Amino acid sequence: MNVDLPAGTRNYTYAQDMAIFRTRTHWGLFLGLLAAMLTMPLYLGNYWLSVANLIGITIIAATGLNILTGYCGQLSIGHAGFIAVGAYTSAILTNRFELPFLVGLICAGIAAGAIGIIFGLPSMRVKGFYLAISTIAAQFIIIWVINHWNSMTGGFTGIRVPPASIGGVSFVSQASQFYLIVATTAMSVFFARNLARTKAGRAFIAIRDNDLAAEVMGINLFRYKLTAFFIGCFLAGIAGSLLAHRIGYINAENFTLMGSILYIAMIIIGGAGTTIGPIFGVIFIQMLQQGITLISPTLESIFALPAGFTAGIGPMVLGLIIVLFLILEPRGLAHRWTLFKTSCRLWPFSY
Amino acid sequence: MTELLQFVITGVTVGMVYSLIALGFVLIWKSSGVANLALGQLVLISSWFTYGMLVQVGLPLWLGFPAVILFALALGWIIEKFALRPLIAQPILSLITVTLGVAFFIEGATSFIWPKSVAALPRFFPQATVHIGTAVVSQEYLWAAVISFILFVLLSLYFKYHRMGIVMRAAADDQLAVQACGIPVTKIFSMAWMLACILAAIGGILMSSIGGITFGLTETGLKAFSVVILGGLDSFLGAIVAGPIIGLAESLGGGYLTPLTWPGVREIIPYITIIIVMFLKPYGLFGEARIERI
Repeated sequence: MNVDLPAGTRNYTYAQDMAIFRTRTHWGLFLGLLAAMLTMPLYLGNYWLSVANLIGITIIAATGLNILTGYCGQLSIGHAGFIAVGAYTSAILTNRFELPFLVGLICAGIAAGAIGIIFGLPSMRVKGFYLAISTIAAQFIIIWVINHWNSMTGGFTGIRVPPASIGGVSFVSQASQFYLIVATTAMSVFFARNLARTKAGRAFIAIRDNDLAAEVMGINLFRYKLTAFFIGCFLAGIAGSLLAHRIGYINAENFTLMGSILYIAMIIIGGAGTTIGPIFGVIFIQMLQQGITLISPTLESIFALPAGFTAGIGPMVLGLIIVLFLILEPRGLAHRWTLFKTSCRLWPFSY
Repeated sequence: MTELLQFVITGVTVGMVYSLIALGFVLIWKSSGVANLALGQLVLISSWFTYGMLVQVGLPLWLGFPAVILFALALGWIIEKFALRPLIAQPILSLITVTLGVAFFIEGATSFIWPKSVAALPRFFPQATVHIGTAVVSQEYLWAAVISFILFVLLSLYFKYHRMGIVMRAAADDQLAVQACGIPVTKIFSMAWMLACILAAIGGILMSSIGGITFGLTETGLKAFSVVILGGLDSFLGAIVAGPIIGLAESLGGGYLTPLTWPGVREIIPYITIIIVMFLKPYGLFGEARIERI
């Protein structure tokens, strides 16, 4: 790890060695980022604030998928399904049983984690493509149950979700939701960052690199694969709950297979198996989508393009970007970021 | 009884079309180890292309079908050349994800070029119904089954006797040995993709001549996944046998389970089959269980 440190910085205690923020520059940057984040509602309009909220929620979900796929190597193409489980659990608990939001949030995580464990069970016997297909199956089964369990989920019409509130404080405006979401996102990312350095995190990486070798070394595959499924889907459930309380009305249309694929795209583009990767990936994809939504109607009217342009251009660009990233930069934006940081460290005397 | 016979006939015939599409998957998997998750989108775009040729351009059938086949050939060649070729020997995660990217792209391109959501192909097959025993079946199903069956026979002859077919089987068996014999493996890869696209196109035409072209055609691809999972990823025989089983399960389950459970149970039968197979016999009926060494 010493290679990562700027010249002249030494660790003299274990606590120093393990700290996430090690130098004054780190602390300075961190506090600057914190200040920028917390004052964001002051200078962002409602529209961009809602985009920021969506990005925050998506980061939580992508972080979960990153633990499952990026660290543990278990490809899941059903992430939107697990998010749906969380969203509906929270919606049902707060709407039908009138429980407080926090209970709904925690239960959403646990319910999604439990469903994740059930659909993760095939990972004991299969991997790679087989697992990918069984998670696609999971997605379809979950959505089907949601669409048909009318008495609980409201079926195709969907279910209304009351706004989030903690101890009398109701999160209705975009700005108040922003603080709730930023706090949750920060906790999730911090958790993910630390998880990667624990015994479990190292076991995940060993399983990803070669599960057979990991098992021979004494790593309990059954336990750690299912732990990865639980944690990944727990975060998906938390994200789902926040999403449900943010938009106030959900139905199964919010959780499509295309959504699941986009989550994979996000962690691939950001850099799977890094903490910073999902954040980059989510911001990149969301901004791209916003850009396409803003620009494509204008382009369509200026160049008199056919009617399908607006609908078709989004998936086309996203698909192209997934393919290009895999071919040109399979380690994602996170790798570019590392290169950039390294060159900053040596600046202006890079050899 | 009449009902049962009807369910069995439609199930088996539709299942044979699933087999056809699934064969394309098995081809690519065996020859290059790539899991093609864009299968449904290949079916979708070639159906729309058929619509474009026959209805929008107005070509006669004898000119339209070769055009579709040419399109499928080009599609397979392009996908292999530009998306898969640069990723040879990359981890399976990248190989799966790149096909997802291709799927995304094709789906976007389809809704770009053909913005409407539903269309109907001209009727190729006679409309009169056929009486089999006591059941009344639309002829289209039977024609679809016959065409699928002819293609199975042609394909197996191709793999048994044609030089390229033999080479492809050899590559599936041992890529290194084939390379050592001086046969370019990349050529086999693009051959596999082109064949798979043709199978997807024919499957798509058969499906959409029965049910019309809808976005639901992508689900045909997903059903083909349940066929390959049930039959075993690396088994041609498995795909051929498992297709009718899935079709049968779908039509029987849809027919008899709907009153007992929620409506629309038919849609998820293939997915439930996948989960059950994963637990009981993860490598499928005819698949080869890989023994791994470190």
